[in-house]
Amino acid sequence: MANKQTYWKGEEELLRTKDFLASQKNEFNEALPLDEVLSENNLGLSANRRDFLKFFGFSIAAVSLAACNKTPIRNVVPYLVKPEEITPGVANYYNSTCGACSAACGVTVKTREGRPIKVDGNSNSPVSGGGLCSTGQASILSLYDTERLAGPQKIKDKTASDVEWSAIDGDITKQLETINAAGGRIAIISGTIHSPSTLGVIADFSAKYTNTKHITYDTVGYGGILSANLTSFGKQVIPSYNFDKANVVVSFGADFLGTWISPVEYTKAWASRRKVDGLNKESKILKTIQFESNLSLTGSNADYRFPMKSSMEAIYVTSLYNAIAQKAGVAQLPMVKSGELAGGAIKQSAEALWNEKGNSLVVSGSNDARIQSIVNGINLLLNNYGTTIDLDNHSNQYKGVDADFAQFATDLNNGAYKAVIFYNTNPVYNSPMSEMISAGIKKASLSVSFASTADETAIECQYIAPDSHYLESWDDAEPKAGVYQLTQPTISPVFKTRQAQESLMTWAGLAAKPLVDPFANKTILSQKAEASVYYLYIKTKWALMGINTDAAFNKALHDGVHQMPAKAATVPAFAANLSAIVTDLDKMKVDTNAIDLVLYQNVAIKDGSLSNNPWLQETPDPISKVTWDNYVSLPKALAEKSGIANGDLVNVIAGSKKISGLPVFIQPGQSNMTVGLALGYGRKGKIGEKGEFEAIGKNAFPFVTYNGSNFNYVTNGVKIEKAEGKYELAQTQTHFSIEGRDLVRETTFGEIKENPKAGNDKNAPHLYTLWETKDYKKEGAPNHHWAMSIDLNSCTGCSACVVSCNIENNVPVVGRAEVRRRREMHWLRIDRYFSFSNVNKINYEADLFLKKDYEGNKITKEKGLEAIDAIEKKKADKANYDHWENVQVVHQPMMCQHCGQAPCETVCPVLATTHSTEGLNQMTYNRCIGTKYCANNCPYKVRRFNWFRYNDNDQFDFHFNNDLGKMVINPDVTVRTRGVMEKCSMCVQSIQATKTKAKRERRKINDGEIKTACQRACPAGAIVFGDVNDENSEIHKLFKNERSYRVLEELNTQTAVKYLVKVRDTEKETKA
Amino acid sequence: MIHDSVIRPNLVTGDKTLHDVTTEICRPIENKPSMSWSVGFGISVIFLGLLGLTLFVTEYTGIGTWGLNKSVQWGWDITNFVFWVGIGHAGTLISAILLLFRQKWRMSINRSAEAMTIFAVMCAAIFPFFHMGRLWVGIYWVFPLPNAFGSLWVNFHSPLLWDVFAISTYFSVSLVFWYLGLIPDIATVRDRAKTAGRKFWYNFFSMGWTGSVRTWNRYEVVSLILAGISTPLVLSVHTIVSMDFATSVVPGWHTTIFPPYFVAGAIFSGFGMVLTLLVIARKVMNYQDYITIGHLEAMCKVVMLTGTMVGLAYITEFFVAAYSGVEYEQYAFINRATGPYWWAYWSMMSCNLIAPQVFWFKWARTTPWFIFMLSVVVNVGMWFERFVIIVTSLHREYLPSGWVMYSPTKVEIGIFLGTFGLFFTCFFLFSKFLPVINMSELKAILKNRE
Repeated sequence: MANKQTYWKGEEELLRTKDFLASQKNEFNEALPLDEVLSENNLGLSANRRDFLKFFGFSIAAVSLAACNKTPIRNVVPYLVKPEEITPGVANYYNSTCGACSAACGVTVKTREGRPIKVDGNSNSPVSGGGLCSTGQASILSLYDTERLAGPQKIKDKTASDVEWSAIDGDITKQLETINAAGGRIAIISGTIHSPSTLGVIADFSAKYTNTKHITYDTVGYGGILSANLTSFGKQVIPSYNFDKANVVVSFGADFLGTWISPVEYTKAWASRRKVDGLNKESKILKTIQFESNLSLTGSNADYRFPMKSSMEAIYVTSLYNAIAQKAGVAQLPMVKSGELAGGAIKQSAEALWNEKGNSLVVSGSNDARIQSIVNGINLLLNNYGTTIDLDNHSNQYKGVDADFAQFATDLNNGAYKAVIFYNTNPVYNSPMSEMISAGIKKASLSVSFASTADETAIECQYIAPDSHYLESWDDAEPKAGVYQLTQPTISPVFKTRQAQESLMTWAGLAAKPLVDPFANKTILSQKAEASVYYLYIKTKWALMGINTDAAFNKALHDGVHQMPAKAATVPAFAANLSAIVTDLDKMKVDTNAIDLVLYQNVAIKDGSLSNNPWLQETPDPISKVTWDNYVSLPKALAEKSGIANGDLVNVIAGSKKISGLPVFIQPGQSNMTVGLALGYGRKGKIGEKGEFEAIGKNAFPFVTYNGSNFNYVTNGVKIEKAEGKYELAQTQTHFSIEGRDLVRETTFGEIKENPKAGNDKNAPHLYTLWETKDYKKEGAPNHHWAMSIDLNSCTGCSACVVSCNIENNVPVVGRAEVRRRREMHWLRIDRYFSFSNVNKINYEADLFLKKDYEGNKITKEKGLEAIDAIEKKKADKANYDHWENVQVVHQPMMCQHCGQAPCETVCPVLATTHSTEGLNQMTYNRCIGTKYCANNCPYKVRRFNWFRYNDNDQFDFHFNNDLGKMVINPDVTVRTRGVMEKCSMCVQSIQATKTKAKRERRKINDGEIKTACQRACPAGAIVFGDVNDENSEIHKLFKNERSYRVLEELNTQTAVKYLVKVRDTEKETKA
Repeated sequence: MIHDSVIRPNLVTGDKTLHDVTTEICRPIENKPSMSWSVGFGISVIFLGLLGLTLFVTEYTGIGTWGLNKSVQWGWDITNFVFWVGIGHAGTLISAILLLFRQKWRMSINRSAEAMTIFAVMCAAIFPFFHMGRLWVGIYWVFPLPNAFGSLWVNFHSPLLWDVFAISTYFSVSLVFWYLGLIPDIATVRDRAKTAGRKFWYNFFSMGWTGSVRTWNRYEVVSLILAGISTPLVLSVHTIVSMDFATSVVPGWHTTIFPPYFVAGAIFSGFGMVLTLLVIARKVMNYQDYITIGHLEAMCKVVMLTGTMVGLAYITEFFVAAYSGVEYEQYAFINRATGPYWWAYWSMMSCNLIAPQVFWFKWARTTPWFIFMLSVVVNVGMWFERFVIIVTSLHREYLPSGWVMYSPTKVEIGIFLGTFGLFFTCFFLFSKFLPVINMSELKAILKNRE
């Protein structure tokens, strides 16, 4: 029998109390000491020995593991004495004057932690008007140029060695005194100087060294205009051209939107007269007529562009004079050869000009004083003086008289000068008298250059006394009569350089002057500034002008500009004998069947003084889209005739001069029997420790000729011969035709006056989306919706925005080889398309499958047969390429369109590109793994991939590769690493900064307060950015404008960028 | 009792006995490698080395070593990816779909076709990995490892993500299916093994296979289940790969026909590759009795059918482009046929649509050397198909300003050749260490059971 003994644990179990029974239902029927275990006390220090050893062991292991990773030592050096105005992370802005060329645009310099990082136009300046060209934008990099000389140099056998300032000051002063005492002549050669103070310094220097002569040499000068105005009106000046007051402008080869005299100012004025909104039926816009050989930026924006042979310009200009003289009823000029262009261009231009008598303008890019005299005569017949041309408030921007320089070169070569000082000029490189100068320098017993790099001229001299960069200097400028601007230092000199003015003052014994403050109530601006003797000198000069208080001077310094009241413009008396001039011109032998070589300046590189600037080299030419090279621009007809194709090399022979192995670019729009070649390339020189500098392109300055009074940039009768070898130019755009696609909409001025929707009246596409429509105005949480409008009618394609964007957003430069692989990184590009302007001459096969004719118009049933007939006829005429010289051009800035329904956003597998609540399409670089799917799916092809690491990489030896160049990097924008995608952010850093500022000030953001980099640069004001949700904003109005449209609207990408229809002021419809 | 159809010819010729099958199929595994194997393997390893070198250059320097540019941001990389994924289709199709349809002729070829699938998917996987600008970050995305980049959350809208799921699923299921089929055969090799090492390893991989009725039963059940799982995968993988293109807005990619057209193309190219391999393998390894002319003929018929299907798709695309009235679509297709890459388009058309039509003739279907030539043509054509779709669509898109040309660099060519090195290295190793023909299944269809 089984013994079933019952055991009990305690009284409760035995008695089976109620509590006991209840507790038995729990799994753990005794209270667990959880509280005790989890309480702070027991987890704390009361560990037993084993636990202690465990913790100890773990800690030792953890500490030793952590110690394996050496923490990088980073030094933060605080200011010992913090400058009052510098707050780390907050930018300071200073108004100053651009030193990139003598046009002297007023600029605003942005500095961060004491270093300048961006130069933009100063809207107070009548020269820049708030815009700034690509060259000016990029000139900031010259400050951080590794090729700059770190201090004064003494040169022996073309080898420079560092010396002290005191040493060269002693040497030079002693020699100058000796030379002057012996009656030896001293020459100061400079680019145009219109700084009253610098001119004062030179005058004082000349007073001390009485045999001093100051000669001005402009690399690409306007001596022709100066001489013509001297003979015509007795004033050796360039007048102010008021494009904004004209209703029609006829230009003979003057690229006034690109490079001619003061392009930023002219672009501003031109664009202000191209606005079509709010005009009535009587209104006029500035009709632009261009006669030229090379397709220039101005030509590409002209309403009518007539290709001409530049060597025959005299004939055409005289014909125009005679046509107008006939209308005016005055005597015509006795011209033996008269000329007219196809289609009666001269006659039509005369008609257009005469109709706008007093409100018209004729300009010429020729440097021949005789042609300029006839142009003066035309303008006088048209009563343009006093309205569109102002000789009283003239320009000072270019003052170089060609004959003076030619005389100097001869004298120097004859040993007439014992001392020669080069300031801001490089004639060994950029003058046709290079050899004479180079040989002459050797004959002078003292030769000094103020060049900041060891350039071609400086290396021939005995001393280089490097001038400071304009961002490190005090200076003033008077670019136009009565317009005074100041240049102020935005950083203390990076190297041991000294301003040229100070050097001259030192050598003339003026630097030792006691520091007397020119103003009565003296305040100390800063010690550094006070130390500059030239700063005091400027104040002295300004005191004479009437700026004699600190308050007035500081106001001028703050504004950057001080304007005297403009003088009343008068009609000058005309003194030139045009008949004699025409007789003289008639003697000129022009072979109409020979090829003309027309030298020009590239819009970015200009005269080549900044040609080592990678930003400028990588800025594509606005017309050819070629980077990193100059090339022979060849008309198609000539290329076909001589069997030359793109990628070939040619030799160009002009008289005794020959340049071999120039690459060829077949340029639509190049006049037949002319070729173009850009100046400013082929710089050589010994650069720092890197040794010989690899020349970019070839130097075309030897082709500049001197006719006894002026330098001539056109040569008649050159030979082009095919050379051995091939060369691929690095282009950023290779397809020229728009293929009839509805990407750029345009209309004529006549049509838009009738119908504001002209050119933009296409049926709205049927749009459908799978995705939720984004609402930036949501109830309760209204938000910004950032948007941009681009007026294609104002945009000239000048590419200043491209450079500005590169600088603002740290866009890497990739170099020629990578551009050839089509991998330029530009966030903003300008698409340029050609079309044949003359329908009858079109030699383009239409796609019958697409039912499009050669202009891209739909072939309708009615038009069908006719169009096909035209195509068939043209096929027979295939060998004729003459019509290639006559093209129309459109420019379209293209950047990320910030689509509301972005194709890129849906395809990114890692959400690296997403949509912000403010309508921006944003890139998160950290997340990006580089599948590149977004770029493939972007219809606008604006996404750029970092194929390599572009910073700190010896393969990309540009400014991202050295500590000095990196100083220009914008600290607010990430420098992207290899393998990530990037694109336009609409300058989100500026948006954020302004939002923060507004929030701190407890206010809303004002319209126009945020400006993107491209918008700030644009001299034409074509770009407007703002909050489209703000109903009072300009962008809101522009989005409602009848001309506004979206590119590829039918994809329903709902872009935040809209374009405004381009308007041409032509008689006939542009689309037949 | 086994009832075989009297009119149906034998699937294995040569009157093989069960023992014959075992000895003949195990022969390459048990003997020393032949001269031709050694030479072939050596060459493959050299190409594998080329793969390593070119991938190293790519990762060390950047994707810039490839010929891609601002407009064509996918080139040979994704072309090769789709090409290899396509090749990887025949294996599972043969083993899964033909299993479900009880096509017994598949038994001689399914093992090698499945191996080919796995190796092809491995080759394919190289491209999406290495085409990433930052592989080292991408790894974190594909494998959710803890990392310092924050949570790299994925975008379920992106077809690239679907790709990852589709291909990894396909790869793992194919691998399991293949391995499952190998278990009885590995056990056979184990039982015949003479050295301790072989015994150990084959024992390890046979996972204790005993050959009992219960194991056979489970084997059959799991095979059927896996076949059921694999069948939709065959269709889904290339459908989803096609969506990389079909869901985009790129003219020439944005077409609804892509899923069926890609699947047909994948089967076409997969069978092309199976034919290429087997025509050689049956000759070199003396397996003509197992992989008979009948097998080749059946596959040729599939090639002809699917080739015609893709051809039809090519023509349909043109019709739809013309009918759509969308000028960008129309231009994309005109540009394919007549633009600067016309040669690629017409290579594709002639290789994929025209060439397989010769299989209407019995001679063409039954002559191994001719089949071999044509199978190579099919694969060349299918490579061009992907090149045409990817590159000719991207190089001329909406804005003519972005129109560019693309050509590969040496590095890209090296990677492509290198993947062949990887593929054949794997295949040679497979043929040396594992039975190329499924012995156990094959034995079930032998007439001579003695």
